[in-house]
Amino acid sequence: MFSLIESFRSAISSVRAHGFRSFLTTLGIIIGVSSTIAVVSVVQGLSYSINQQFEGFGSNSISIRSSTPRSERLKGKIARITAEDVLAIRKNAEGIEFITPQLGSNVGGTSPLKYKGNQSFAQVAGSTYSYQNVQNLDIQYGRFISYSDNKSRRKVIVIGDKLREDLELPKNPVGEFINYAGEWLKVVGLAEPKGSFFGFSQDNFAILPYNTMQGLNGNLLQPDIFVQLQLKNIENLDEIKARLVRILRKQHRLKPAEDNDFKIETPEQLTSGISSLISTMTVVLGGIVSISLVVGGIGIMNIMLVSVTERTREIGICKAIGAKRHHILLQFLIEAVVLSLLGGIIGIILGYGLGMLAAASIPGFPPANVPFWAVAVAFGFSAFVGILFGIIPAAKAANLDPIDALRYE
Amino acid sequence: MSLISLNNICKYYHMGEQTVKALDHINLSIQRNEYIAFIGSSGSGKSTMMNILGCLDKPTEGDYLLNDKSVALLTQDELADIRNIEIGFIFQSFNLLPRASALHNVMLPLVYKGIPLKKRKELAMKSLQKVNLADRTDHIPSQLSGGQRQRVAIARALVTNPSILLADEPTGNLDSQTSKDIMALFDQLHQEGQTIIMVTHEDDIANHCHRVVRLSDGKVVEDYLNEHHIEAKKETLNV
Repeated sequence: MFSLIESFRSAISSVRAHGFRSFLTTLGIIIGVSSTIAVVSVVQGLSYSINQQFEGFGSNSISIRSSTPRSERLKGKIARITAEDVLAIRKNAEGIEFITPQLGSNVGGTSPLKYKGNQSFAQVAGSTYSYQNVQNLDIQYGRFISYSDNKSRRKVIVIGDKLREDLELPKNPVGEFINYAGEWLKVVGLAEPKGSFFGFSQDNFAILPYNTMQGLNGNLLQPDIFVQLQLKNIENLDEIKARLVRILRKQHRLKPAEDNDFKIETPEQLTSGISSLISTMTVVLGGIVSISLVVGGIGIMNIMLVSVTERTREIGICKAIGAKRHHILLQFLIEAVVLSLLGGIIGIILGYGLGMLAAASIPGFPPANVPFWAVAVAFGFSAFVGILFGIIPAAKAANLDPIDALRYE
Repeated sequence: MSLISLNNICKYYHMGEQTVKALDHINLSIQRNEYIAFIGSSGSGKSTMMNILGCLDKPTEGDYLLNDKSVALLTQDELADIRNIEIGFIFQSFNLLPRASALHNVMLPLVYKGIPLKKRKELAMKSLQKVNLADRTDHIPSQLSGGQRQRVAIARALVTNPSILLADEPTGNLDSQTSKDIMALFDQLHQEGQTIIMVTHEDDIANHCHRVVRLSDGKVVEDYLNEHHIEAKKETLNV
C-alpha cells in the first residue's frame, strides 16, 4: 500500500516531466474512449427520446391494429379492423375511457390535398376529439376536432404546419378551404409544430372527423382502422385484453383453430422492439470502438518500453540504493495505468462534448445522454488496458540487472 | 568480530572460451570504522570488488560475511534490503536522478525503506545539512556544480545511516580543489565513526585513507597501513 502511494507520486511526476510525450501516448486512449462515449451517448439519447415519445401515448393505453397471419396472406386475404369492429368494441368492451379510432385514407402512405392550385401530399387520418390527447397535439390557431364535428360529419380539417407551408396557406389558415378527395374542407385548426424526428417532419398531416372520413371513403373501400384505447384502470389490462380478443374474434368469425388476424399491443410491446434494436446497436458500435482502445494500449506499451530503456540507468541507481523488484515493477505499472486513466478521463470529457455537439448539430435530434455505466466501463477499460500493456515493460524494468543497468549509457 | 570478512572470494567472467579471473581468491577482513582504499590500475578487479562488497553482485566462489551473515544465500530482495540499510553508495558519476530535486534524491532510499513522507523529509534535511547543502535542497542536479552533486550523493548515501560508505572513484569527475573538499568531508565522516571503503586509482586520494589494499590481476598484492596516519594518531594519543 505504501509503495503504491509512492509509485503514484513518482508516476505523476514522470508523466508531468514528459508532458507532450505523455499526451501523444494517451492520444490513442483519448480517441478510443471519447468515440465510445460519444457514440453511446448519442444512441442512448435516441433511445431515451423514443421512450419519451411512446410515453406520449399514455401508459394506460393499448392499441389494436390488423395483422394478417402469414398463412392467410398466402391465400390472398387481408385482414382489416372495420368500422363495425370499432362499434362492437364501443358497445361490448368494459373499463375503457376513450376509443380513438384512426382511419387513414391510405394506411402508412400519403394522400394529395389542394389549395388554390397548389397540391401537396400528407398523411390524412380520420379520428375523434380524443386523438388530441393521445397524440399530444397542441393547437396554435383555431381548435381541434370536436365531439359534435364527428357526430354531425362536419367537413372540417385540422392541419400540421408543414402541410400549411407546402400549400402556401396564410400563417393563420383558420377559415380557409382545402380540397381533399374531391370535397372542400374548412380549416378549423393549425397544430403547433413538433419538429422533425429522425429527419422526418412530424408536421405533415391533416386530421378530419372520423365519420367525415368514413363518408369520404365511401363504401367502396374497406378501410383499415387503427384503434387506440385509453383504459380507466391499467390493472385490468389482461382482463380487458382478453375481452377485446373475444369481441374481435367473434366479429371476424374466426374458428377456434385460426390465428388472430389482429394485434393488441401495449406500450411496453411497442418500446421493447426498439429498445432491443438500440441495445444491439450500442453493443456493436461499442465493440468496434473498443478496438481503438486496444490500439491505444499498444501505443502506451510502446512508449513505456522506450521509457524503460531510456531510464535504464535510473533503474540501476534505484536498485543500487535499495529498490526491490516490486518497487520498480509497481513504478512502471502505475505509470502506464496513470497514463491510460488520464487518457480515459480526457476521453470521457471529450466524448461527452462530442456527443452533445453531434446531437445539437443534427436538427431535431434528441439531446445526448451519457449513462453512468458507460463512464464506468470506459474508466475501467482504460485502467485494464494500462495494466495489460504496462505489465511487459514493467517486468522488463524490474528484471534488469543492477550492475548492467548502472553501466548503461 | 569484523564488519566484513572475505574468504577465498573469486569472481570469474566467461568471455567465449576464455575465463577472466576478475577476483582470484581474495582473503580480507575489514573492521568497523576503518578508512580503507582499494587501489589498482584498470582491470585490476577493483570495480568487481566494489560490486561484490556492495552486494550488487555475487562471487562465483568463496564466502562474503557482512556483519557475520553470509551474503551468498540471500535472495535478490534481501540483497536489496542490505544495499538499502547497510550500504551507502557513492559513484564517480554521482548517479543522481536527473529530474528530481536534491531533497528528493536524498529521500529516495528512505522510500524503499518504507519511511513516511514527513519523517523522510526530516531525515533528508539532516543529511543535507551534514554535507553543507541545506540551502540547495530544491535544485535539480543540472543546477548544481560537480562538487555539490557529489555532496548530494554523499547525503543520499548517509541518509539511511549505513554501516559502510562505499565510494567508487568519488573524485574522479571533480577538479582538484573540489576533490580536496570532498576528501575533507570523507575525513570528517570517518572521524565521526563512519566506516568508509573507497575504490580509486589515484595515490593522493588513497593517502587520505588509513589502510590501502592494492589489487592487481584480481589478487591482493599489497595491504598496508598509512604511516603518517599512524603517526598522527599516536601524536593525538600522546597529547
